[in-house]
Amino acid sequence: MNDKPSSAVAPRIAEELAKCDVRLVASLPDNWLMDLIEAIDRDRRFTHVRVNREESAIGLCSGAYMGALGSAALMGASGFMTVIYAITKINYTYEIPLFLLLTLRGGVGDHHKHHISNGLYLRPVLDAINMPYRIIDQPSDISQISRCYHHTRTFARPMAVLLTRNLLRGSHA
Amino acid sequence: MKYVDCFRALARQRTDQIVVTSAGNSGQAWWAATRDSEATFYLDASMSLSTMFASGLALARPELKFWAFMGDGAFCMNPGMLMVERQMNLPNLTHFLVSNRVYGATSNAGLPNFEQNDYPAIARAMGLERVLEFRSIDALERDFAALAPSNVAGHTFVVLEVEPFSAQEQKLEQPPFDGPELKFRFGRHVEARTNCDVFGYRL
Repeated sequence: MNDKPSSAVAPRIAEELAKCDVRLVASLPDNWLMDLIEAIDRDRRFTHVRVNREESAIGLCSGAYMGALGSAALMGASGFMTVIYAITKINYTYEIPLFLLLTLRGGVGDHHKHHISNGLYLRPVLDAINMPYRIIDQPSDISQISRCYHHTRTFARPMAVLLTRNLLRGSHA
Repeated sequence: MKYVDCFRALARQRTDQIVVTSAGNSGQAWWAATRDSEATFYLDASMSLSTMFASGLALARPELKFWAFMGDGAFCMNPGMLMVERQMNLPNLTHFLVSNRVYGATSNAGLPNFEQNDYPAIARAMGLERVLEFRSIDALERDFAALAPSNVAGHTFVVLEVEPFSAQEQKLEQPPFDGPELKFRFGRHVEARTNCDVFGYRL
C-alpha cells in the first residue's frame, strides 16, 4: 500500500501532464486534489484556470482542443456527476477529445458519508455513457496518465483517470 | 431590433473573426446571415458553454480574433462564466450576449426575472471593463467600429437587445452539419489560418 503523502505525488502527476503537452488545466477543488491543484498553479508550464463550475471546464478544454492546445480538466467526483450533458453534447456529438482527472470518491477509506452516492454511481455512470477510465491507485500507476491522455486523441472522445484516496492522501492519512 | 437583422449587420462588420454560436436561435440567425461553413463553430445545445468554448480557442490561438454568441437563456444558466472570462481577460475574445428575454430555442418560453435582468450591470459587477450595449441597427452600424481597436486590454462584452424570433423565424434552417463534419471543417480552417496542428495530422 502507498503511504506516501500527496505532496510527493502531485509533482509527479504534473510532470506527467507536462510530458503530454498539456498546457491548460481547468480545475475545481476537491479536498483530495488540493496539493495537485497547488502544484499545477505554481508550475509555469501550465495556464491554470480556476473555473466557476465543472461544465465550464468542459467547454474551456474542448475549445482549447480546437485551437490545438493540450488541456486537462481536474475535478472531484461530485463535480463530474454534473457534467454529463455537456460531455455528451459537446464531446460525443462533435467527437472532441477531453481528458479528465477525477477523484474516485466513496470507496473504502473515504470517511465522508456525503460521497456514498459517488461510490455507488460514479463508475456506473461512466459505463452508461461508454466513457473509458483507468484507476490510478499507486504512484507506479502515474505513468498511465499520459497513455490515457493520448488515447483521448486517438479515440476522439473523453476519457478519465480516477485518482484514489490511497494515491492522493496515502493509505494512512 | 430584429434578431436576424442584427446578425446581418454584424456579419457586414465582420472581417476575419472566427465565430462560435450557441444553441438555438443564434446558430440559426448566424447561418441565415452568413452560410459560413468553415470559420464558425455552431455549438449546438451547449446550454451556456459557447463562450467557455471560445475562451479555450482564444487562449490557444492568440493570433486570431473570436466572436462568441450566447443567448440570455444560456446566460441565465451560468452567469458565473463571466468570472472566469474576467479572470482570463482575453483581448481577442468578444462575448455577444443576445438578449431577447426568452428561451428562444424552446418556443420563446419566458426567462426568470426577465424584466429586471440588467446584463451590462451584471458584467460590470464582475469587473468587466469593456461592456457595450446595442438596441438598434443604426447604433450598431454607427458605433460598432468602437470595438475594433486592437490595443485595448481585456476581453469585450456586448449586449444586443433584440426581439424574440417570430413564428416564421423559428422555422429558419438549423446549421445542417453533423458534429464530426463541423469539427473537421472548422479545425482545418484554424489550421490553415495559423499553421497549427489540431488533429495530429495535416492534409
